[in-house]
Amino acid sequence: MATLQSTTPTEADEAPRPPLVRRKRTVAQRLRHDWPLLVLALPVVAHLMVFHYWPSAWNIIAFMDYSPYRPFWENPFVGFAWFERLFNDPYFTPALLNTLKFAALNLLCMFPLSVVLALAMNSIISVKVRSTFQSIVYLPHFFSWVLVVTVFVQVLGADGLVSNWIMDGGGERLNFTSNPDSFLLLVWLQWAWKDAGWGMIIFLAALASINPSLYEAAASDGANRWRRMWHITLPGIRPVIILLLILQIGGILSVGFEQYQLQRQAVGYQATEVLDTYVYYQSIVGNQGESFGTAAGLFKGVIGLILILVANNIAHRLGEQGIYQKS
Amino acid sequence: MAHPSDRAPFKRRSLFKAAGLGAAGAAGLPALAACSDIESNTGSTQTSEGFDFLPTHEDWPLPVEPDLVGEPPHHPSAFTSYPEPVQAITDPPSGKGTYEITVPCWGAAPSQDDPYFAAVAAAWGGTMVKLRQGDGMTYGDTAVQWVKADEYGDGIQLFNYMTGSFSNFQETVVNSFYDLTEIVQGDIAERWPLLAALPSESWGQAVWSKDPDDPETAGIYAIPMTYSGGQGNGILARTDLLEAEGLAMPTTVEEFLEVARAWTDDAAGRWATVGLDWFIGQWFNLGGIDGWNWDPERKQMVNNIERPEFTELMEFRRTLWDEKLIHPDAPTGTLDAAAMQQAGQVMFTQDNLVRWNDYNLLVKKGEAEGAVAPLPPLAAKGRAPIVTVSAGIGGWTFLNKSLSKEQVEEILDVANWAAAPYGTKEHELLNYGVEGEHFDIGADGNPAYTAVGSEVVQNPVNYKAFAQVDTFLTGDPDMVAARFEYNASIQQYVVEPPFKGVRIEAPAAAKAAGTTLWDQQSDIAFGRAELSSIPEMVETYFKNGGEEARKHYTDAYLALYGDE
Repeated sequence: MATLQSTTPTEADEAPRPPLVRRKRTVAQRLRHDWPLLVLALPVVAHLMVFHYWPSAWNIIAFMDYSPYRPFWENPFVGFAWFERLFNDPYFTPALLNTLKFAALNLLCMFPLSVVLALAMNSIISVKVRSTFQSIVYLPHFFSWVLVVTVFVQVLGADGLVSNWIMDGGGERLNFTSNPDSFLLLVWLQWAWKDAGWGMIIFLAALASINPSLYEAAASDGANRWRRMWHITLPGIRPVIILLLILQIGGILSVGFEQYQLQRQAVGYQATEVLDTYVYYQSIVGNQGESFGTAAGLFKGVIGLILILVANNIAHRLGEQGIYQKS
Repeated sequence: MAHPSDRAPFKRRSLFKAAGLGAAGAAGLPALAACSDIESNTGSTQTSEGFDFLPTHEDWPLPVEPDLVGEPPHHPSAFTSYPEPVQAITDPPSGKGTYEITVPCWGAAPSQDDPYFAAVAAAWGGTMVKLRQGDGMTYGDTAVQWVKADEYGDGIQLFNYMTGSFSNFQETVVNSFYDLTEIVQGDIAERWPLLAALPSESWGQAVWSKDPDDPETAGIYAIPMTYSGGQGNGILARTDLLEAEGLAMPTTVEEFLEVARAWTDDAAGRWATVGLDWFIGQWFNLGGIDGWNWDPERKQMVNNIERPEFTELMEFRRTLWDEKLIHPDAPTGTLDAAAMQQAGQVMFTQDNLVRWNDYNLLVKKGEAEGAVAPLPPLAAKGRAPIVTVSAGIGGWTFLNKSLSKEQVEEILDVANWAAAPYGTKEHELLNYGVEGEHFDIGADGNPAYTAVGSEVVQNPVNYKAFAQVDTFLTGDPDMVAARFEYNASIQQYVVEPPFKGVRIEAPAAAKAAGTTLWDQQSDIAFGRAELSSIPEMVETYFKNGGEEARKHYTDAYLALYGDE
């Protein structure tokens, strides 16, 4: 029940309040209080330790002339010799440049495609049409790269469906799946078919979190569809876009392996060699050994870390949350 | 507002700086690098002759004489009729152990509940040897990880060509596998008469040294597979389709191109080949060991890619592509050449000559049409053809070093049983299975596999891959006669590799450079690079490991033969 209260300050109100001192809890008290959370976190911590931190510790073999057949401490340290070999290898720089080229393509052409798809999907009102559209764009994500590449060869290959149609019409064979000059376009088409639908899932979730009353209010104020998207939808999902962009930039040197390896013979190593295939062909097929492969992997990791920190820093400067809340 | 704790070991900014420092360090590597040199994976050379610890060779008299006597190993003898098999081992040792051996498997692995497995186990004395079958397509690469992780059971079979997947096979062998020397050295004929009858060269090729520079550290680390020679691979042609078009089998490289042009009709979907690469070097007199040959004038090893004939080879491959004599999707490397040849879409395939036999047996069974036969040795520009051959074992069965001596001996009992040659009951059971179940005696008197027999016994790699004392041409009498005749016809062109009695493992840098070199050859062959890029390609190879390989092979040659 509401009661009337005097608005006149009393003496007691005017007296300065003692500062709120939260007594620091001991470790034992915190353990007693938080143990269910700790137990819940334990499997994840164990997983991280076993599958991430412990293997990361083995990066040290990038600085050793490592052999798995001698005791670890008997492997001599060789400083940066493996990195020197890596950077002096004439095939390393082209692989790095190819990787950056594919990563840039992915960032510039795939990322926006997922956003656009999500917006398109969000604008479909009919549930039936929406679920059909959703199935069509999601499904290819679950295909393996072997299947994706095979489908492309069967359809767009020199002896494929389209090529034979063209030949039946008196034209020349299509040279698309074996042409290094058009490989970038081929890669983009394969990505778009396989992963654009999957990439929009998180954006769809972000779109669902936007308060519908904002749209109603904007509509009643006369905002058309475009202005609603520009002033409500995009600002609403901007934190998610920035977060995913930063994460993607961190993994910029990991553009995949199978897609390039599977098409290496068809298109040639010069067009398809990326850092991951380079490591495989030099370290495993070419027998350069574990230390060489680890050095290349560490290089990738360091560059990824730097990029993610830079991108996060820029995000903070622009007032975005980034991958964590700036305190 | 919360403040970051001063006690935090890494503030975000300092972490960033640390990462930046790492990158700067990486960028300035030359200044920091070379604390010491990399010494691993620099290659190894292992002799396989002249050891005094090999098993004493003792002939095992063959129970039957071949119908056609050749000149083994490059021209094996042959049986045109199936002899009545005799028992080789009358009193097999009793074994109770259970072991697991990793073997490659191409296609579906048969169920080991099949009676075949129980029958062979009972016949060799009861020891159970389970097969752990790995995908043959990726076996070499995967075996590297199995061996390093010691996850290959009690033994693993590796074929010669798979050893290239290991960055340092010598180091792998001496550290991972059982040293059999103490068990098999000297006179072993009493317990293992068939293993004692294996050629000494076989056992010699199973020797590795812990220290390649110290012969005293050498030992026998594997059970060698069968010793054989001759031409294993070739180019198979659809002879019926050639005849139908009024075309003759080509006898020179130039004739091959003419036939290819006459047969190919790109618009109609028929082509001369789906790719010729690894086999046809010998058409251009490019032989040697790993592409290396001794040059007596330069007194060093010379690689095939330095020779003018290599340019001819690349011109030939490029001609096939430019003139559309090759399937347009050949660069994908995914085409099934054998199936396309069977369907009449492709005239020539490079293949193992076993398929010559298999194809014609399919025709006899009514499961395929026409006929295939290998091309004779070809050469270009009027040169004499060569047929590169190398006698040796096909691979090894390595045993886990954690086994006890008694366990190793029990597995050797099995290997001894499996070594029984053609004409023995052991060979029949091992290679054809149980009569009535896996094979029947056909109209020509030879065993003919049933459907189950093909699936369980004939196709998969199994205990058959243990060594056999001797090898012969066997099977369909017509095919045996044809294969014998073909082998006889090529003997005049046979060229052996420059090294005998030595096993050479190239330095890792050369292997890596070789991988790229192969890619670059494909670029030229499929029109992605010009023929004029060959000199640059060769120069790059030698700069990135080729010269290191040249020195390695030259040193090995000089150590064996001097500079004459």
